[in-house]
Amino acid sequence: MIMPPRLRTFVLTAHVTFSLGWIGAVVAYLALVVAAMTSQDAQTLRATWIAMELTGSFAIVPLALTSLLTGLVMSLGTKWGLFRYYWVLISLVLTIVATGVLLEHMQTVSFFAGVAAETDSAHAGTLRGGLPGELLHAGVGLLVLLVIEVLNVSKPRGMTRYGWRKQHEQRTVSQP
Amino acid sequence: MSRSQLEPERETTTSTPPRTPRWVKVFGIIALVVALLFVISLLAGVRHGPGLHTPSGDAGGYTLPSSVIEGYTPPGGDLGGHG
Repeated sequence: MIMPPRLRTFVLTAHVTFSLGWIGAVVAYLALVVAAMTSQDAQTLRATWIAMELTGSFAIVPLALTSLLTGLVMSLGTKWGLFRYYWVLISLVLTIVATGVLLEHMQTVSFFAGVAAETDSAHAGTLRGGLPGELLHAGVGLLVLLVIEVLNVSKPRGMTRYGWRKQHEQRTVSQP
Repeated sequence: MSRSQLEPERETTTSTPPRTPRWVKVFGIIALVVALLFVISLLAGVRHGPGLHTPSGDAGGYTLPSSVIEGYTPPGGDLGGHG
């Protein structure tokens, strides 16, 4: 079903907002990770883990899910389709993988945030041990999101076999 | 935003399926390499999850607070994570 122009503009605006918001939230998360890694203060270390969990749970995860949802609506509600163009298909796969890894990894973040909330400075080493993993996950996640953004802005040429077949069928129907 | 950004152009009028673009092939190779590196890291025993970079795989020998243990479902089924 093709969306009417006004609805399409509304959904596109929402999709761009959520997607860029996701990138911004990951940048904020990375700033917390770097702050925790460079600080020698145990209180700062504990506070950043708690802030990282809040940022992940209340900003990154909702933005990721709404970005994925509005992306699906945009694809299915326009002539781009979901499987007709390589850039749409690759963006979809990367978004699903990024969201899946995010949801799985948030359990780890919640674990360390729980430790940070309940322990004293004597266990700062445990909290510090989790930071390299955070830098890796958030860094690679940001890289993937930037790749998706470039694909969505540039829309490189390339139609899938499925897209070609659909286009061929439509042309056959419209030109009997 | 131009109209072409909102709607696809008709890319092909040929009777044969289009070839896979070079940039898609490059993407596929990169994805394959990343997947292989991930599998190799898992096989090499690189830890993943709360036990990452800790010596014993049980969160560094640290006795976890009970509320943390109750509220946490580790990805690999144990507090050392999987891998």
